[in-house]
Amino acid sequence: MNPIQISMEHVTYSYEKSCPILKDITFKANKHECIGLIGANGVGKSTLLKLMVGLNTGYEGQICIEGIPVVKENFPKTREKIGYVFQDADSQLFMSRVYDDLAFAPRNYKLPEPEVEKRVRKALEMVHIEHLKDKQIYKMSGGEKKLASIATILTMMPDVILLDEPSIALDPKNRRTLIHVLNQLNPLKIIASHDLDMILDTCSRVILLSDGKIIRDGDGKEILSDRELLEAHGLELPLCMQGIPD
Amino acid sequence: MSKLDNALCEIYHMDEIAEREQWLNHIHSLIKLVITVCFITVTVSFSKYDLAGVLRMGVYPIVVFIFGELSFRSALKRLKVILPVVCLIGVFNPFFDRQPIMEIGGIMVTAGVVSMLTLMVKGIYSVFASYLLIATTSIEKICYALRLLHVPAVIVTQILLAYRYISLLLEEASRMMQAYSLRAPNQKGVHFKVWGSLVGQLLLKSIDRANEVYESMLLRGYQGEFPYAAKGFFRVRDCVYLGVWFVIFFCLRVMI
Ligand SMILES: Nc1ncnc2c1ncn2[C@@H]1O[C@H](COP(=O)(O)OP(=O)(O)O)[C@@H](O)[C@H]1O
Ligand SMILES: [Mg+2]
Repeated sequence: MNPIQISMEHVTYSYEKSCPILKDITFKANKHECIGLIGANGVGKSTLLKLMVGLNTGYEGQICIEGIPVVKENFPKTREKIGYVFQDADSQLFMSRVYDDLAFAPRNYKLPEPEVEKRVRKALEMVHIEHLKDKQIYKMSGGEKKLASIATILTMMPDVILLDEPSIALDPKNRRTLIHVLNQLNPLKIIASHDLDMILDTCSRVILLSDGKIIRDGDGKEILSDRELLEAHGLELPLCMQGIPD
Repeated sequence: MSKLDNALCEIYHMDEIAEREQWLNHIHSLIKLVITVCFITVTVSFSKYDLAGVLRMGVYPIVVFIFGELSFRSALKRLKVILPVVCLIGVFNPFFDRQPIMEIGGIMVTAGVVSMLTLMVKGIYSVFASYLLIATTSIEKICYALRLLHVPAVIVTQILLAYRYISLLLEEASRMMQAYSLRAPNQKGVHFKVWGSLVGQLLLKSIDRANEVYESMLLRGYQGEFPYAAKGFFRVRDCVYLGVWFVIFFCLRVMI
């Protein structure tokens, strides 16, 4: 049995009434999956992720997290299950020290301080930045900030992790570290990105968005190697599939 | 480095010295807050002609500067804007209060001059006392102490976020200034015609940023009360520190 963790049914959403950004989105995501949400700039990938955590409200249709509808009354319950990693790490990290930022969520959930410390240590370990524990955030590089911002939600022990363009502005080495870290994380992951190489390396399932609709939902390798499909929707084959001419 | 970057560095630097491994930094924040408030109250309570009495209170800032291993020079540098303002407070007293009260080396000193000096010293001491509190206590800990004193959570969180948002605002401003100056290399400062749009942009961008930070707090379980690391216990050394200063303040105010 594969328990369903996120389900969206006929979800339509618009910022301004006249032009809906997302139209009739329906999909289900199961435990331990890793789903790549791809599409050209501005198709609404971030919007879709924000709907799941309730940062965008007023949608039509139904969104459920583990069977609980995502509506205002349930936010405390649903948000506890989801970790959302912002595209911009500077928005995620707002305390002065890494440790305090990682401890922010567990302290909010009133865990005793020894447990907080345990979770912080574990989260730092999972993203391999133990050495940054006491570092001042403004002194960190972009790659370190990204890893730290992923760690900030790991201390919540979420069932679902949503990542918005995680590989943006990372150099190749940091990008590889990120992919390695993502592959080791166990919960359901949904990664919104147009970095198709990273999606290929992390996600077994891919959802292709275009014009507000789900165009394709299926096996990652298959969709990512379909040149015509990708090009028809403003994307390009992952670099590693483009074949280097010799 | 531009002025903005300087300001940012200052904020970061204050954060950093407040996090040093120094015994004064490890004193419970509530104790330091109480002592600071106490010091300011006692200092202000001296009569307006009691210059000698107020001067004696200088023991506190001097001792804390020395034992806290804080640089007096960089404190002066940071306070260079506020100190002159404080000194202006009593500047008109000599004109109103011309009654002579003593003579030093043949020069008549009027009551107005004495009260002006007293006011200045009171102001300067208060500024230094606040500086010493901030330099030895991180903003989170000060806010925690305020919460212990039952200052409403809304107000304390405001203080904390204002402090954080100032650095976001400065960062944003610094980025925009760099972008501007790179495209207007011959321009000194910002041409007044673009002030409006720069300020507008800055406002919008910082609102967006502040909003995103707030969202990220909400998503991590924030519900109106900032989670301070619960460091509830007072240790012996905290109490001793408090006691010693109370005794000293009392002596300086009443006994001498
Ligand atoms: N707060 C907002 N108000 C109005 N329109 C918005 C807002 N945020 C995003 N949009 C619009 O919604 C569309 C989808 O944006 P977004 O979800 O950020 O795309 P993606 O993440 O796929 O690049 C874009 O056309 C954008 O202009
Ligand atoms: Mg986006």
